[in-house]
Amino acid sequence: MATNPMHQFNVYKIGPEIKINGIDLSFTNSSLFMLISAISISIFLLLGTKDKKIIPGKFQLLSEMLYNFISKMISDTAGKKAKPYFPFIFSLFIFVLFCNMVGMLPYSFTVTSHIIVTLAFAMFIFIGVTILGFVIHGFKYLKIFVPSGVPVILLPIIMVIEIISYLSRPVSLSVRLFANMMAGHTMLKVFGGFVISLGLVAGWLPLTFSVALTGLEILVAFLQAYVFAILTCIYLNDALNLHH
Amino acid sequence: MIKIISLTTLLLLTLNTVFAAEAGMPQLDPTYWASQIFWLTIIFSGIYFLIAKIFVPKIKGNIDARESQIRKDIDEANSLKEEADRKLQKYNSLIDEAKLEARKILSDGRKKINEDIQSKKEQIEKDIQKETLEATKEIKKFKINSLNKVNIISEEIISDIIQDIFKEDLNKSSIKATVSEVMKERRNQI
Repeated sequence: MATNPMHQFNVYKIGPEIKINGIDLSFTNSSLFMLISAISISIFLLLGTKDKKIIPGKFQLLSEMLYNFISKMISDTAGKKAKPYFPFIFSLFIFVLFCNMVGMLPYSFTVTSHIIVTLAFAMFIFIGVTILGFVIHGFKYLKIFVPSGVPVILLPIIMVIEIISYLSRPVSLSVRLFANMMAGHTMLKVFGGFVISLGLVAGWLPLTFSVALTGLEILVAFLQAYVFAILTCIYLNDALNLHH
Repeated sequence: MIKIISLTTLLLLTLNTVFAAEAGMPQLDPTYWASQIFWLTIIFSGIYFLIAKIFVPKIKGNIDARESQIRKDIDEANSLKEEADRKLQKYNSLIDEAKLEARKILSDGRKKINEDIQSKKEQIEKDIQKETLEATKEIKKFKINSLNKVNIISEEIISDIIQDIFKEDLNKSSIKATVSEVMKERRNQI
């Protein structure tokens, strides 16, 4: 085997070492690809908002479709109250999507395949939503752990389950994205390695798999960004409209 | 989801034994965690502010502008349609009125013509009657006249004949009386 399939996830610093209070904050390849994604998003949206046409061009149409897509997603899951959080959900979706998509380019780095990145997002969302819930509903927000219509005897067990499920939200949210991205890229790399090691004779089979997997991974990249955004919307909905 | 995660872990476990060159998952190496969070915060905040302050309002503006334009166009189209409907109604009512008027004129004309024909007919009939009456009268007169003339002629012829035959003048009044008597007989015969 030529290279380690996990090698692609290595983080190494680019440029000088930056240390603040003994914490290494150096610019790394991960930071570089975050930057590339951010710049790609800016260029895409710049092209999409350059012209103000009644009949949109390709980029304008794309950006407006994206806007409508996320707008519909938010109004479907979290209702009208979630409107102020539209830019955040929009940024979140497009950033995760672009990170995933940039990661699909050969020799690139997938920012979202690192647990710490997705966990940072998930923790931010989790803490933000929890604070929002307490700010809007006060201590009544704790009702989220007490579903209505549950027999009193079952209540303690249900409450424990609800609390655990609530607390595991950031974990499931972050691990879902991270694991999907890592698994996909590892598989691609493994099959890519097989193409070389099996050579001209039998290498066609893993190559076919590789091509098919690339298609699948692009789908997964979109799907995971969508799932990440829609779960954020659902958590937001719980905090905005207390249903339990 | 569980499938993928378990597959990944299985894959990783087997891979770790196969590719023992590098240690485990680089994701779990905490060396650059702080750096990743730090740069993520900076870059994501940057892109968030760009999107929130510039791009989303711009896209929203575009969509709103298009919607208002479309609404305006639809309103205009509706008002035009209403006007067209109104015009059509007006036109229809005008046509109906004109038809009614035409029918009225037609029936009036027919009536008038009928009356005219009737009156002319009556007039002509009257005239014919009058003419006939006059003609009858004239014929009667003419008959009488002609009879009188026949009398006179007869008298003259008779007197001439008598004169030619008898070579003498007869009393004119006696001839006249005889002729008128014969004529009266004849007239009675007629």
